[in-house]
Amino acid sequence: MQANKDSDGGWRTFVWNSEKKEFLGRTGSSWLKIFLFYVIFYGCLAGIFIGTIQALLLTLSNYKPTYQDRVAPPGLSHTPRSEKSEIAFSLSDASSYKKYTDAMTKFLKKYDDDKQTDQMKFEDCGGKCQLMPERFLKCRDTVSSTPLPGRGFHTREAWLIVKLNRIVNFSEGGRPPMNNSVEEFLLPKLKPNLIPIFCKNKREEDADKIGEIKFFGLGEGFPLQYYPYYGKLLHPQYLQPLVAIQFNNLTLNEELRIECKVFGENIGYSEKDRYQGRFDVKFNIAS
Amino acid sequence: MGYGRSDSYRVATTQDKDDRSPKKKKGAKDMDDLKKEVPITEHKMSIEEVCRKYQTDIVQGLTNAKAAEYLIRDGPNALTPPPTTPEWVKFCRQLFGGFSVLLWTGAILCFLAYAIQAATEDDPAGDNVSIVLTAVVVITGCFSYFQEAKSSKIMESFKNMVPQQALVIREGEKVQINAEEVVGGDLVEVKGGDRIPADIRVVSAHGCKVDNSSLTGESEPQSRSPDCTHDNPLETRNIAFFSTNCVEGTARGIVICTGDNTVMGRIATLTSGLETGKTPIAKEIEHFIHIITGVAVFLGLTFFILAIVLGYSWLEAVIFLIGIIVANVPEGLLATVTVCLTLTAKRMAKKNCLVKNLEAVETLGSTSTICSDKTGTLTQNRMTVAHMWFDNQIHEADTTEDQSGASFDKSSITWISLARVAALCNRAQFKAGQDQLPILKRDVAGDASESALLKCIELSCGSVRAMRDRNKKVAEIPFNSTNKYQLSVHETEDLNDNRYLLVMKGAPERVLECCSTILVQGKEQPLDEELKEAFQNAYMELGGLGERVLGFCHVLLPEDQYPKGFAFDTDDVNFQTKDLCFVGLMSMIDPPRAAVPDAVGKCRSAGIKVIMVTGDHPITAKAIAKGVGIISEGNETVEDIAARLNIPVSQVNPRDAKACVCHGTDLKDLSQDQMDDILRNHTEIVFARTSPQQKLIIVEGCQRLGAIVAVTGDGVNDSPALKKADIGVAMGISGSDVSKQAADMILLDDNFASIVTGVEEGRLIFDNLKKSIAYTLTSNIPEITPFLLFIIVNIPLPLGTITILCIDLGTDMVPAISLAYEAAESDIMKRQPRNPFRDKLVNERLISIAYGQIVIVCLNPHALGGFFAYFVILAENGFLPTTLVGIRLNWDDRSCNDLEDTYGQQWTYEQRKIVEFTCHTAFFVSIVVVQWADVIICKTRRNSVFQQGMRNKILIFGLFEETALAAFLSYCPGMDVALRMYPLKPSWWFCAFPYSFLIFVYDEVRKLLIRRNPGGWVERETYY
Repeated sequence: MQANKDSDGGWRTFVWNSEKKEFLGRTGSSWLKIFLFYVIFYGCLAGIFIGTIQALLLTLSNYKPTYQDRVAPPGLSHTPRSEKSEIAFSLSDASSYKKYTDAMTKFLKKYDDDKQTDQMKFEDCGGKCQLMPERFLKCRDTVSSTPLPGRGFHTREAWLIVKLNRIVNFSEGGRPPMNNSVEEFLLPKLKPNLIPIFCKNKREEDADKIGEIKFFGLGEGFPLQYYPYYGKLLHPQYLQPLVAIQFNNLTLNEELRIECKVFGENIGYSEKDRYQGRFDVKFNIAS
Repeated sequence: MGYGRSDSYRVATTQDKDDRSPKKKKGAKDMDDLKKEVPITEHKMSIEEVCRKYQTDIVQGLTNAKAAEYLIRDGPNALTPPPTTPEWVKFCRQLFGGFSVLLWTGAILCFLAYAIQAATEDDPAGDNVSIVLTAVVVITGCFSYFQEAKSSKIMESFKNMVPQQALVIREGEKVQINAEEVVGGDLVEVKGGDRIPADIRVVSAHGCKVDNSSLTGESEPQSRSPDCTHDNPLETRNIAFFSTNCVEGTARGIVICTGDNTVMGRIATLTSGLETGKTPIAKEIEHFIHIITGVAVFLGLTFFILAIVLGYSWLEAVIFLIGIIVANVPEGLLATVTVCLTLTAKRMAKKNCLVKNLEAVETLGSTSTICSDKTGTLTQNRMTVAHMWFDNQIHEADTTEDQSGASFDKSSITWISLARVAALCNRAQFKAGQDQLPILKRDVAGDASESALLKCIELSCGSVRAMRDRNKKVAEIPFNSTNKYQLSVHETEDLNDNRYLLVMKGAPERVLECCSTILVQGKEQPLDEELKEAFQNAYMELGGLGERVLGFCHVLLPEDQYPKGFAFDTDDVNFQTKDLCFVGLMSMIDPPRAAVPDAVGKCRSAGIKVIMVTGDHPITAKAIAKGVGIISEGNETVEDIAARLNIPVSQVNPRDAKACVCHGTDLKDLSQDQMDDILRNHTEIVFARTSPQQKLIIVEGCQRLGAIVAVTGDGVNDSPALKKADIGVAMGISGSDVSKQAADMILLDDNFASIVTGVEEGRLIFDNLKKSIAYTLTSNIPEITPFLLFIIVNIPLPLGTITILCIDLGTDMVPAISLAYEAAESDIMKRQPRNPFRDKLVNERLISIAYGQIVIVCLNPHALGGFFAYFVILAENGFLPTTLVGIRLNWDDRSCNDLEDTYGQQWTYEQRKIVEFTCHTAFFVSIVVVQWADVIICKTRRNSVFQQGMRNKILIFGLFEETALAAFLSYCPGMDVALRMYPLKPSWWFCAFPYSFLIFVYDEVRKLLIRRNPGGWVERETYY
């Protein structure tokens, strides 16, 4: 008890020592001095830091990042997103797939006709943007020619909208793959000026369970004329081409893994990055 | 005097053996008992009483039945070995002590988080933090354990002290039994060369001498006889002690104590039962760990709660918690401290200080009081002729170890006569086969004073053996305590001279009594009153110097009375022993070692109080103390003042005397306050005639006054004090095994001067550890800031847990250790010892410098350098700083594979993670770059680097090593998988350079201000 009291008293005097007018062991002027010191110290440091950051910003280009070796080759991303690479819903429960249809509707808003009709914005950007009107027209066509997303979900149809990630000044294919690395199933899909996309079952045993896969878009792939992308500053309204994939007859109540891949000269794949030039997704549709 | 002259003796009588229960009572009271004097009373009893007490018989000994009964009652006659901690406990202590608990918690939390992730996802993030953390704890734990084990396995010796066999008489028959089976009441016989099997009361002895040096510190063998000669059992002649050696003769005695009850056993129990406090450095490190742990847990929990409040999932919050704890704990620091101490210990071993306990290295540096033993430590431990008196004049002999001292006039005829007497009347001789050795190093058979004379004569007059051959010995009366002289009769050198030469040496007053003439300038003169007074004065003066004085005389026996072939009868003296011719006096002392006065002086200028504690007589002790400067010139004791002023001692104000010689018997009667008074008010103290228990009391007294005490000693009697001291220093050559075991440090050359080297090293390592810690902490703190910004501003994580470990355990280690090689900044032996209460290893200023900077916006040069590199990499990859704020949720969302950067590019999860990990690598490299400047800064605490220079080669190596390691971690293929570190573009290495330069300039300015303005505001606020 005694010791307790003592230490309590010591603590209290440490917080406020009325004898020496000390707060936390320092007098007012001492606090002021140390405060001023730290203000100046940190002021200088902050100034120097901001200075170096400014210097850094001066070295950067407004149009193109300094390094692109990490962002290329481009990723292949899809809407709706999978959660832990799984898309699972129940046919009988509308709420279970609502988040997927909502995500798609939201995503396609940007491609709506009325937003693309504002011609002024697109024709302002000089020679490089000549293809603009046509491009957006085709985009709209893509969208309108595909059955409304979500509509199919309750009839065993699952939809994915796929896009190739944007990379500034990156020509995704240059030309479509012609060499023998291309697998046979791809050959009928090969067209000039098109980056083909193809999906198939990831596991051998699922081969007869995934049913028919249909590709909707500008010719079952990504047309090359939409590339390259010139960056936010030059292409503020740029919309990248989309491919809608329809899975028509997935076996119910079973986990099915499907892998989609794009093929092109500058497209690469990585062991670790499962979204680089390809992706795989798990469907689990309950009846 | 009398039966109850002190408390302890009264206690002793009540504590008689029969009253004591055989089972030992444990506890504090027991300890106090042990500190009191030895409770033996048997020496004052008659033999019959002793026999009655133990129901034994003086001739027949115990009966076998009785012996068996006693054996069961008292237990075997062996010392209980000191309790040892099992190895696995020691190992666990290393594994779970210090920061380890914190790291284990982190590892377990990490593992749990991972397990939960693994359970909920089929593809959990490959998080190996928990494995790395566990590995870190286990490796550092093993490292410390092996370090400790290596230094602690030096000696285990109590067992060896128990004699193997003992000769006992039971039922009238002599039997050789195992010494462990000896019981109280046994009649035992010992002979020269034996170890005494137990404490025995001598009942009969024939020329028996025992060597009690391991018990009392007295080096002269002492004779044993059945008579009680002293009240004190330790000084009486009729008791021989357990584990001492019988040197010569035989004795028979009754066992009175066995095993732990023996005097030696009590000391051993006292020693092993003493609780030694933590070493100062251990306290410092504990203090430091408390601070760090407190801050880590506080910050961790704060941010854990904050994270929960901000809406993070609890799993994420746990990960933040681990991150902050890992960032906060300087994982490598304890290992660094251990390595630094080991390095110093190695360096000290080269200078003859063997350190048993690593932490003792630093303790020596903070020592404020040294209680030094006299014999062997301060002195050379060999008697040497120091002065001679002949021709009515005192001559000084050379006592230095290397014969570099002053010499005296050796041409006087008197000196030649004196030398002849000293050489002839002397039984000592050199042992064979050491002709190549210098005279002083040769071994001598014979007692200490005779050896001293022998060496002195051999040095000044050449071969003594030749002289003895020329003067053949005819008869001899050896020294005995009734005559107090020794004489011998020799033939003369001159073959034509048929007279016999009688030479005598002995106690000066006895020798003088036998003389009627005195030799002055080679001429015999009658011994008149004037010359007698001169003799008295010389005798007094030499005695006052604490020296052992011997008188010498000779006579040439007249040929007519003692013709050639005269049969000298030494038993019934049939020749002249009166009217001899006095030649001179020679006095001997165990002279101080040459280096000691200098070392004592150094200690004094280093603010260390040197106290002499010895079992020797006060006069000798004082003389040596004056000789080595423990009592400095001009300082007087109370007795000196009294003598000078010619007033009684009681009238002198003790405060006037700076010096003090305190007698052991006085010490017994002192209360604690009086003791404190002595220790506080006298700067120069000598304790003489002290017992082992008193040594302990002295040490405790010093410690009570807040001193950090070093004790030197060599005997068993010193071991309790050695153990109790903050640092016990045992002697490597003369020290007993027990003292070595109790000590923390061993002086291999027994030289006090080595302690001073040790002090210097200890102080240096304290300074350098401060530097190491400052260095480690300044890189440790910026490791927290990335987490804080990550949580608060929602930017991608700038520095990962693995990278933090890479800094703490990888790149920071060698530079931090290299600081241990740093040379001293100023003369560290000119300043006061550190105050353990004020001068901390880690003071609040260091903490406030280190942590003060995170409180305010996490700005400090290390963190800024790292953040700059982080922003550079992200910006050059497309994420400008403005885009980053608030991006965290999407950034860490695995399902988001089209995250847009400032330029409109879209990133997959893995792509941006690689950039993030590249940022971690860059942050790491930036810290390394700023640490270059930091290690150069930390080299000095006051001087500029330009004053100190870059002579520390290890430090330069450390700089290269840390850079090479950083480059390796960044560029080695496979690191992206193993540690998630990625190659950096060359330009990113330079991001932190401005900050490195900045921190260097800032610190040079700070140190300049400290130097320009000592004690000023800058020093008060920023000097650590």
